[in-house]
Amino acid sequence: MHELLLFASVPVHQHHELLQQLAGLTAMQPRHAIERRLIFKAYRKPGLITGRVGGSQDLQQSGDLQRVNKMLNGSMFYTQVVGPVSEKELGPASTSMSTSVPAPDPDTPMAGTDESKPPAPVPNAAVPDGEASAYDYEQQPWRLEFRDIPEAATRSAITTRVMASAALPRGDIVPSMNAWGYGFVTEYLVEGDIFIHNDIVIFLHRVLHYPSSDNEPREPRRNLTALKDMEPLEKTGSYVLQASITVQDGTNQETMKTASQHLFGLREQLKSAVRLEQADRLSLDTRAK
Amino acid sequence: MADSFTLPLRPLREQNDRPDTLPVEISQINKQWGSFRDVNEEVLRAKIAEEEKRNGALQQEEDEDSGGQETGDIDMTERREQLFKRRNDITQFAVQSHMETMFALDFISLLLSKHAPRQAETSMSPFLKQVAPLGSLDSELVNPPPKPESAMKDIATVSRGWRIQNFNSASSKLLSAATRLEGEIKSETRYWNEVLAIKDKGWKVCRLPREKQALGVQYGFIEATPVFRDRGLASLRRAHDGSLILDKGLIPSGARHVRVRVRQGSQIFESFKPHRTGSNDAESIEHRILQARDSVFEEELFHELVREARAMASFGVTTRQDLIRIPAFDDVELLLDIVEADTDSIPTEQNSAHDDSQLADGLAHSIRILLAFAHRQNLRRRTQVPRPLTTNKRLTPEYHLLRPALAYLQHLSHVRWLESFFHDIFSVLRSSGLEMPEWTSNTFASWKVAQNPSSLVTLEALVEKFLRPIESVFNGSLLTSPGSFAVTIRTNLSSPPFGTNYDVSLKLSTISDLKSPGRLGLKDEVEAAISHLLLLDVVSSISSKELPAGQNGPEEDISKNRRWNPVYPHLGELLLPHVNPEKHKKMKITLSRHELSLTTYIVRSIDGIGRGTREQRSHNAEAHTCKFPKPPVGTPGAQEHSSIMDFVVAEASDAHS
Repeated sequence: MHELLLFASVPVHQHHELLQQLAGLTAMQPRHAIERRLIFKAYRKPGLITGRVGGSQDLQQSGDLQRVNKMLNGSMFYTQVVGPVSEKELGPASTSMSTSVPAPDPDTPMAGTDESKPPAPVPNAAVPDGEASAYDYEQQPWRLEFRDIPEAATRSAITTRVMASAALPRGDIVPSMNAWGYGFVTEYLVEGDIFIHNDIVIFLHRVLHYPSSDNEPREPRRNLTALKDMEPLEKTGSYVLQASITVQDGTNQETMKTASQHLFGLREQLKSAVRLEQADRLSLDTRAK
Repeated sequence: MADSFTLPLRPLREQNDRPDTLPVEISQINKQWGSFRDVNEEVLRAKIAEEEKRNGALQQEEDEDSGGQETGDIDMTERREQLFKRRNDITQFAVQSHMETMFALDFISLLLSKHAPRQAETSMSPFLKQVAPLGSLDSELVNPPPKPESAMKDIATVSRGWRIQNFNSASSKLLSAATRLEGEIKSETRYWNEVLAIKDKGWKVCRLPREKQALGVQYGFIEATPVFRDRGLASLRRAHDGSLILDKGLIPSGARHVRVRVRQGSQIFESFKPHRTGSNDAESIEHRILQARDSVFEEELFHELVREARAMASFGVTTRQDLIRIPAFDDVELLLDIVEADTDSIPTEQNSAHDDSQLADGLAHSIRILLAFAHRQNLRRRTQVPRPLTTNKRLTPEYHLLRPALAYLQHLSHVRWLESFFHDIFSVLRSSGLEMPEWTSNTFASWKVAQNPSSLVTLEALVEKFLRPIESVFNGSLLTSPGSFAVTIRTNLSSPPFGTNYDVSLKLSTISDLKSPGRLGLKDEVEAAISHLLLLDVVSSISSKELPAGQNGPEEDISKNRRWNPVYPHLGELLLPHVNPEKHKKMKITLSRHELSLTTYIVRSIDGIGRGTREQRSHNAEAHTCKFPKPPVGTPGAQEHSSIMDFVVAEASDAHS
């Protein structure tokens, strides 16, 4: 699958206004989403064939073996493991929200539509409000997200990259990832709102870091910190607007063209509010050096 | 002498080279001299003489002149010199006058170029153009000569009059502009007030996408099919007096609604007419918006109904241009069409009060609720993360509007049939004195799920239930415990297998080889299965009945525990054994929906279980028949036994005696 993307930076003072504008444009209530994102890095397992052994035998090496070798010894990538969490799970809900965290949308939701429901099934949804529902790491659903480095030398003013997603088992994901040759690097939190505009997924989000402590854990956290205690990566608290559209078959020029036209259409519609543009290719490099 | 000498400055008149044509000359002669008829020699001679005489006089004069000239002592060369000199003078004079004229022209041109540059430029000399820029010279009146008093007075009067006239016209223009502006302000205020009133009532007022300077109001349904979604936007135009006009473009303004009619036999019942919302002021803009919204909803409803009806052709649904015809069940037919709100069909008035229009009303309500539900589903689908873009288009499936309603009707008809069947057959059994336990029905069991009414989600769950297969359960227990039966009716028109089927399960411990028939599709099969089960039940209850011991002693030992022995329970046959093999008694029970009949006769077979041709009825013993429900007293079939058990006992004792 391919992913076509446009990005824009949204300063924090524009955030609320833009939320309303997007809600009007997409005719839907924003869907609040909080995601844990774990970064894994692929590493070379020892004991693999690393180079050519012997001379003449190479000529007989079958194509399949070559392909496998290439796959195993080719470039290594960082991958993300994404797990949706609900705000309740993030720790004790405090009444005084800090300024950087947007207050819940004052618009009354449309009657009868449960838009505010978190996208993922929440295991502890039955726990009444006010009481901080305990975060159950063992029940955390995960999704593996692979993103290639954006394609180079494209004429189009859109970031295009190969992508793939796969569902992972719940709970502790590190052993499985280790078995696949990935090592845990770090984790962060993404907090934002999702809108759907026809085929385009608009994600207005920002990256949050866990409060810095002396000993950075070597594995995913089993307990989460309250949202207000999280520190935005961008100190001003500004948001990133990401408009993305996925295409099943990236080799089909026609669908790719349609997809980019949709994105350009959105860019035109949002022109007066934000400037959507292509991202720097190298800043989205996921290769592990 | 110089003064007298003149040279012609005019060009010489050109002699006409071509001589006049003869006719012209003749006519000229005719005019000058008269007709040729008068010409004769004398006249001509006289004329010649006259000519000669005049020529002679001239000659004389010339002679005199030349004689005088020659007398002057100016010789030829001097004269020529003088001639040249004069000519030179003339040329100089002409050149000078030309120059002066050109100067004058340039001057005037330059002067005029201040006010009419384009025109003046054409008459300017190129030199002047180079030297002096256009419009560099202006004229002004300096020290005008004093005008006479009267003239001054006139001018003052005229100018005052002129000014007054101008002031008058200006003031009237300003006044008219002011009134126009005032009117404009009034109408504009009214317009904006009405727009605000609309906005305050909760309508979405926005700028039109195609016509940026116009306001529009959105009254349509965002989740509707794109065609109808786009139609839900009308511009708010301002009438001359400032009142709002709802401009829907080419869409007809009349209110329309979907009419549901139910034809039962020859009768037609019509659904209610949607009552006007806010009909107190029929002309208010609010009312018009509401009407437009209702119309667009109804039209979408009909559009979707037709779409669904086409997909339902396999159910016998037919669509005409404006009519959907659905055979629902039995002789009931549903007719759906879209009509103008104002059309009052006459049969409506007659049947509107009828109770049976309930069905039409219910259907009309349900299709509208289901469309609203489909809108919600659309919203839900739209706000999900979309699937990756592919080349194949995603088709929007037809909404479920008719199918659930039709499934309900079909289900209802089946349930009613089964109820009536149970009612009939149980009353037959009861009339025979059997104490049948009550059967229970749980109609539409699938809808009766415990729900939390406070949650908003249940609102949708409520409708969602309606879309699922409908289920009704009938339960009953039998005379012989623990015997029971259960019938589940399931109707599903939304997904295959379509239609209604019955799930019949039976339990009767006394009959070991009884198996539940499982899923049945036809009413007849169900009727047969239930009748059969009840027959078996009756058979086993008769067989379990202890018969009273016979009064006469000889067979006392056998009659200790005499019972009717169910030899062929599935055929409803029981046997009462007798010591005398000639006197075996057989009872045959038949049970149908309307009748239970018992027949006993003596069989002469050895073991008493022979059937068919081998079975020989004893001729002397007449067959005894007992029927339930009892025929009325007085008819030939009147019988003395009031209950089945009486008959059974009596027959047994008959056999015994």
